[in-house]
Amino acid sequence: MQQLNKRMHNTLITIAGLAMLAFSAFAFAGEKPSFAPKVPHPTNGSTECVQPEDEMKKNHMNYLLHQRDQTMHEGIRTKTYSLKECINCHVPENSEVRFGDDKHFCSSCHNFTAVSIDCFQCHMDRPMEGKGTQGENPHSAHTTPTANKTTISTDVADTSKSVQDTKEAGNE
Amino acid sequence: MSNSDVNISRRSFVEKSATAAAALTIAPGMFLHTVAEAKPADQAVSSAVRWGMLIDTAKCASGCTACVSACNTENGIASHDRPRTDQQWIRKVTLRDKQTKHEISLPMLCQHCEKPPCVDVCPTGASFKRDDGIVLVDRHICIGCRYCMMACPYKARSFAHETVDNTVDHQPRGKGTVESCTMCVHRVDEGGTPACVEACSEAEHGAMIFGDIKNPDSEISKQLLKHGGKQIRADLGLNTGVRYRGI
Ligand code: SF4
Ligand code: SF4
Repeated sequence: MQQLNKRMHNTLITIAGLAMLAFSAFAFAGEKPSFAPKVPHPTNGSTECVQPEDEMKKNHMNYLLHQRDQTMHEGIRTKTYSLKECINCHVPENSEVRFGDDKHFCSSCHNFTAVSIDCFQCHMDRPMEGKGTQGENPHSAHTTPTANKTTISTDVADTSKSVQDTKEAGNE
Repeated sequence: MSNSDVNISRRSFVEKSATAAAALTIAPGMFLHTVAEAKPADQAVSSAVRWGMLIDTAKCASGCTACVSACNTENGIASHDRPRTDQQWIRKVTLRDKQTKHEISLPMLCQHCEKPPCVDVCPTGASFKRDDGIVLVDRHICIGCRYCMMACPYKARSFAHETVDNTVDHQPRGKGTVESCTMCVHRVDEGGTPACVEACSEAEHGAMIFGDIKNPDSEISKQLLKHGGKQIRADLGLNTGVRYRGI
């Protein structure tokens, strides 16, 4: 009995190995297997992502994770690897398509690969009104956001200096 | 503290102690705006800055809830008509002196403590304080244990009990995590002012000032220097970033 189990086990491993070989053959040939998901591309004329497509396919999660921690804990709000900007570019504004739907940019692949993510339990899966960049190339304009206009400026000139002074004085 | 005091609710405890500390003379109206510096987007926040608020209870109008509505709109907080469990980042509190019957009204929000008990108790590191003094929940790592809600003396935190389907892109919020006032960190990082402070001045009450309390030239520091600003439950030694006048 034990002998039989072992044989079956070995057979299974061989089958799995063959399947993986077959899959990598596709990958190495650089050809899309016919069953590959259709990923909707931005319609704003932008042909390049923030990194080459292959890199993004493999490592987008690392860029996002890194940015996530920097934004959350250090207040770094650059746009290049921000999830918000992915959505603004890749999902049309006023889109009826929601995360989970095969037509949603993220779901198109994630559904296919059966990798479930929970980003969109909190984050918006579509651009906020007026924020979508499907009409323009979002990667050409990564500018620092302008200051909120409602503040009334007083004492702007000296602030940076006095901030420094305060640090030295350890104002607590 | 006597034994009977131990059982009173946290809210009334806060109210009582605030009233006990009352009777400060209020100075005439002051200019309640301050300017926030915009830092470059790629620069990390720094401990050379400490964001704070000064709330003048003499100017805070009873019955006015402009700050509360502004917060709800800004952060996409919607009521489920269940007041006991609805999320609430800022609320209006009325304090009544039993003896004199004098009433004051004030907005209560996360006090952005320098030594936040919510951070001390968090088992995951989700509750944390940024270098610039803003206390936040990193909801990516919050497990929803709600220890921080128990630890906060100001009842400032809420739990998202239900699926949130009306999030805004600058304030992702979701079921199963704890949340509280972020001092509108998304605005502050871009040189802006918190929505509540803005709404208060738009309603022409000007009871709230926001600014850098480490910068002696900021409007808030000048006001604090001149008139002082009390901490609610100062006895806890938390060194709150939100200070009040007239309590
Ligand atoms: S007021 Fe409460 S939530 Fe805010 S920092 Fe203090 S303990 Fe934490
Ligand atoms: S509820 Fe979240 S933030 Fe609060 S103590 Fe638990 S893990 Fe930390």
